[in-house]
Amino acid sequence: MMRNDPIKHVFIWPAVLVVLAISIFPLIYSLTTSFLSYRLIPPIPPRVVWLGNYATLLQEPRFWNAIFTTTLIAFIAVGLQYAIGFGVALALNARVPGERLFRVALLLPMLLAPVAVALVARMMFNPTMGPLNQLLSKFGLVNLPFLTNGHWALACIIAVEVWQWTPFVILMMLAGLQTLPEDVYEAAELENASAWQQFWGITFPMLLPISAAIVFIRLIESYKIMDTVFVMTGGGPGVDTETLTLFAYQEGFKKFNLGYTSALSFLFLIAITIIGVTYLALLRPHLEKRR
Amino acid sequence: MSGHGLTGLSPWSRRLVTVGVLAWCLITVFPLYWVVVTAFKTPPGVVGGPTYLPFIDFTPTLQPFIDLYQGIRGEFFRTFLNSTIVGLSAAAIATAIGAMAAYALVRFEFKVRLGAGLVFFLLALGGYLFFNTTFGFTRPQALLLAFPIALIAAVVANRLPLPGPILGNEDILFWFVSQRMFPPIVTAFALYLLYSEIGRLGFQLIDSFVGLTLCYVAFSLPIVVWLMRDFFEAVPIEVEEAAMVDNVPSWRIFFGIVVPMSMNGLLATFMITLAFVWNEFLFALFLTNSRWQTLPILVAGQNSQRGDEWWAISAAALVAIVPMMIMAGLLSRMMRSGLLLGAIK
Repeated sequence: MMRNDPIKHVFIWPAVLVVLAISIFPLIYSLTTSFLSYRLIPPIPPRVVWLGNYATLLQEPRFWNAIFTTTLIAFIAVGLQYAIGFGVALALNARVPGERLFRVALLLPMLLAPVAVALVARMMFNPTMGPLNQLLSKFGLVNLPFLTNGHWALACIIAVEVWQWTPFVILMMLAGLQTLPEDVYEAAELENASAWQQFWGITFPMLLPISAAIVFIRLIESYKIMDTVFVMTGGGPGVDTETLTLFAYQEGFKKFNLGYTSALSFLFLIAITIIGVTYLALLRPHLEKRR
Repeated sequence: MSGHGLTGLSPWSRRLVTVGVLAWCLITVFPLYWVVVTAFKTPPGVVGGPTYLPFIDFTPTLQPFIDLYQGIRGEFFRTFLNSTIVGLSAAAIATAIGAMAAYALVRFEFKVRLGAGLVFFLLALGGYLFFNTTFGFTRPQALLLAFPIALIAAVVANRLPLPGPILGNEDILFWFVSQRMFPPIVTAFALYLLYSEIGRLGFQLIDSFVGLTLCYVAFSLPIVVWLMRDFFEAVPIEVEEAAMVDNVPSWRIFFGIVVPMSMNGLLATFMITLAFVWNEFLFALFLTNSRWQTLPILVAGQNSQRGDEWWAISAAALVAIVPMMIMAGLLSRMMRSGLLLGAIK
């Protein structure tokens, strides 16, 4: 039941005002700046160039490299997070021995500061003093150039992302699993459906909506990745692991190229919106069929 | 809810599943163990190659922490205080005003015309450009003038019979949550410019408590509104209806009945927000430089300052991590009572 009482305005306006002021404000500001040629160092008075910044950016190979790197990290990391997270959630839900103890430990990583996690990762991946290469030596394998080779560095960043954010998938999938009705499984038991059939026939389709939501949240968040890369590789070697946010940071905060950076962040916003809308459009028929 | 997965499996696959979960657990815990032991190592204990067991592999020492406290590697103590103060206040403010907004969205009806929203955006944008180019106001001045004008015009426009769809509570909620989709770099960078121009007018926001907290409150609000809406929806309406029959005013229903009933939810939301603010890096990087620097910035700085002094780096990382470890313990206890179930439906 919905009430109508003038006091509702007192309740909602503080939050609306703060969000409007802090998020819509800068939006207008950077939208207008993105049409200017405007640098602080060396100081040039702003000049209107309309879409000039956007045109320059779209021809910049470093921009496309950043898009490619970010997309690669986001998709592989989220794919792995979902697969591992779903698996662990299934096992925990099925009361694996010691399940209670696992829960705290399994949830820890997602609450830790990404910069601290990245520092720990740097130690783990250190070629001479890190435990990983020592382990490899023990098994007689070659030591790996974890953070100094472009491909390996990318793999390490993905590994850290998976380590940190799989717990989120576990947590959400576990909650989803607990909402499933028991009687459907009992009926399936009577039909002599195997565990495998039960999973693909009942569990997976029934969890599709929440899975879609989880993957969506993780994808959007992964596209913003910055701190982990900033600490682990700084975008290097070269620009092999430079993500979009890091690229924008370098342009804006190191070179103070304001118009260019604003245009870059807007392209980023457009890219995220396109990915989000495409994702939802692709999934919609599947989600509605189940209802 | 009993387990329906493992019972249907053969003993061998059951063992396989257990081993798999154990392996993931080990992968999760080992880096944490590593950072804890490394923080108690002496320099020779680190440089000589990896060592694992205290007292057997190496002799533990408290020296890294003493160095930290004495401020040899940056002002840790003050930074820790900064993080705590900003984190607690931002989380408290965001939870308070976010919970109020969430309650309003659950129990009261709102109607916003899409036309009024457009009026707001166009007037804010147009007014800003107009004041800035025609009257020669500085940018923040132009923005500060355009904002209230656009807001008042939008509120008035909402009462006029404008064409176009009318948005309800669900759409307002979506607007709140969609703020999370924004790449933070868009806002962080613009906010930095805006703050520094306001600073030139004499009101310092960069590297200040107010500036940083305000920005964190705004960025926590979407999560708070989203989580709290579910908690409030779970509060039985009958209780509130009974109070309304007795003519209890709405604000007393909220503070006297609804808030105490959703204390668990509020607490969990507060902790999640606190974790978010505590760990946040990008905004702190842009908006602080010395006085109000937060822990993530200082911790990230350890990396480049001096090569591989891992004992110190580990101790620094540990200082940033431990409060959140304690929170994880508290949160998981609350989670067992089915707390987060509602949030995902």
